[in-house]
Amino acid sequence: MISVYYFGAISLILIGLYAILVKKNLLKILIGLSIMETGVNLLLVSVGYVAGKSAPILSEGIRPSQAVDPIPQALVLTAIVIGVATTAMALSVAIILHEKYGTLNIEEIRRLRG
Amino acid sequence: MNGQYASLLIALPLISAFFVPLIKGLGKKTVKYYLVVITALQTVIAAWVFQQVYTTGQPIIVVAGGWKPPVGINLYLGHFAALFVLIVAAVSFMMAVFSVRAVEIEPIDKYAMLFLLLMLGATGMIATGDLFNLFVFMEITAISAYALTAYNKTGEAAEASMKYIVLGGIGSSFFLIGVALIYGSLGTLNMAQIAQLAGGMDATVAQVGLALIIFGLAVEAELFPLNAWAPDAYQAAPHPITAMFSAFVVKAGLYAMARLLYLMQAVESWGSVLKLLVVMATLTVIVAELAALRQKNVKRMIAYSSIGQIGLMALAFALGTQSGVDAGVFHMVNHAIVKALLFLAVGYVAITLGGTEMERFQGLGKRMPLTAFAITVGAVATVGIPLFNVFWSKLRIIIATLDVGYTWAAVLVLSASVVEAVYYFRLLHTIWFTGEGEKVSESMVIGLVMLFLAALVVVIGVYPDYAWSIAQKAGEDIFNVAQYVKNVPLMGVGA
Repeated sequence: MISVYYFGAISLILIGLYAILVKKNLLKILIGLSIMETGVNLLLVSVGYVAGKSAPILSEGIRPSQAVDPIPQALVLTAIVIGVATTAMALSVAIILHEKYGTLNIEEIRRLRG
Repeated sequence: MNGQYASLLIALPLISAFFVPLIKGLGKKTVKYYLVVITALQTVIAAWVFQQVYTTGQPIIVVAGGWKPPVGINLYLGHFAALFVLIVAAVSFMMAVFSVRAVEIEPIDKYAMLFLLLMLGATGMIATGDLFNLFVFMEITAISAYALTAYNKTGEAAEASMKYIVLGGIGSSFFLIGVALIYGSLGTLNMAQIAQLAGGMDATVAQVGLALIIFGLAVEAELFPLNAWAPDAYQAAPHPITAMFSAFVVKAGLYAMARLLYLMQAVESWGSVLKLLVVMATLTVIVAELAALRQKNVKRMIAYSSIGQIGLMALAFALGTQSGVDAGVFHMVNHAIVKALLFLAVGYVAITLGGTEMERFQGLGKRMPLTAFAITVGAVATVGIPLFNVFWSKLRIIIATLDVGYTWAAVLVLSASVVEAVYYFRLLHTIWFTGEGEKVSESMVIGLVMLFLAALVVVIGVYPDYAWSIAQKAGEDIFNVAQYVKNVPLMGVGA
């Protein structure tokens, strides 16, 4: 059985990829990158999802056998942090680009050629 | 000494990076010398690990926190990792020495921090034994590389960095999808256990997962459709960083690719993934070498040449035979030495004469004879003239391609060499036979580093046997997966 989460994840990835490939505005490209990362994170979480089980946190009345797979969730936490770092880095570079070129249109930002 | 001390290879650069803000209070010069000291220490530790692994013949397995793999994350310092960790540390040390002269732009403390993190990331990628840990180290490398590319704060640097970020972001997403597919079907992230279980994996899932991982790593490894960022970043980054990119950052990506590829040998659809890599590698060689021909900027030209060489290594790894892997590793070692030398020399010209355009190299033979000599050795070696080290590894690659019956690939290697000869000899002609100029005084320290690297090029070229035997052991480490699985003390959980 293929869950709805997989469809959601794949469509988020494709939407992000579309934005990266087609959009001309740098900020839209970066938003596309973030959407794509979100899609990948959703995919990872849904790999470890088991229907009807609870979050893998030790609490009263929940035994280990009743929790979903904790590893993908740990992976996603890490991936989110990395995504934030990448986005922050990208935005600060975008600020420099806007200072130097006066535009965020990627067709006008091309001094390096050949 | 206990092998667990090898974890210092990761711990030392990480903790030192966090101490940089404290050192900053002692002055700008201190930060640069601090960088030199830390990288020298790292080189000593790496040399110790290298000596341990190559005398005992046993890999060092570092088990984090005493948790046995696959529950805990392990570092695997086999023959390959020991060799390359040493190369990473030694090149970093030389570039730290070079940075004392080459990097004047503020904030120097941020530069030192990112420099150490870049070294840490590459070391980690080479040493890790866990798939997700590999991803984390890859991102550490990538994010510090993005920041270092933009370090010069010019419009060009920001532009190059932005290209790198967008492509790197796509690559890391692809890589993560591949990891999700592999984890979803095998339920493990430990590389040894993946190799153990790979035989039972669904052929289509394995094919797609592996292909996605290769695509993701192709950004770091600068393979064709995803390497548009590389020449720009090489051109715009500070000179020591360019040498580091070419000497080991790209090699770490390529190694990770080769390692994961060979770990999943048991998968049914393995051959089709190899074919994908052959196509990517061939296109990389052709596109990069032809692009190098029409460059006016020497740094950019060498960047393209570097990408072309990477294509040759990827081609050797994609052959799927022991001799191919050995040849690829040998070429990686030689290329790391040669490109460190070339980028060091060209960077030194740039900081002394003010740029890397072709015109600035006129009369270099008269103005900076030592540097011109270093560039000459590097250029002649890259082309693959006998008595220089790259000749032997190119020869090995050609033999390996003929072994599997890819005559066209041998032709490709040879014609790539011809193209290289055209543009490198053009550069040498400019250096030695055109222009006039007054002699400029050359720094002793940087001159010594260049002479050392040039001597290494010639020594390996004249006596290739020792280096080749090391490369063979390292290649064996990648190719012989059964031994790899046996070496990692897996706990008996799961399958």
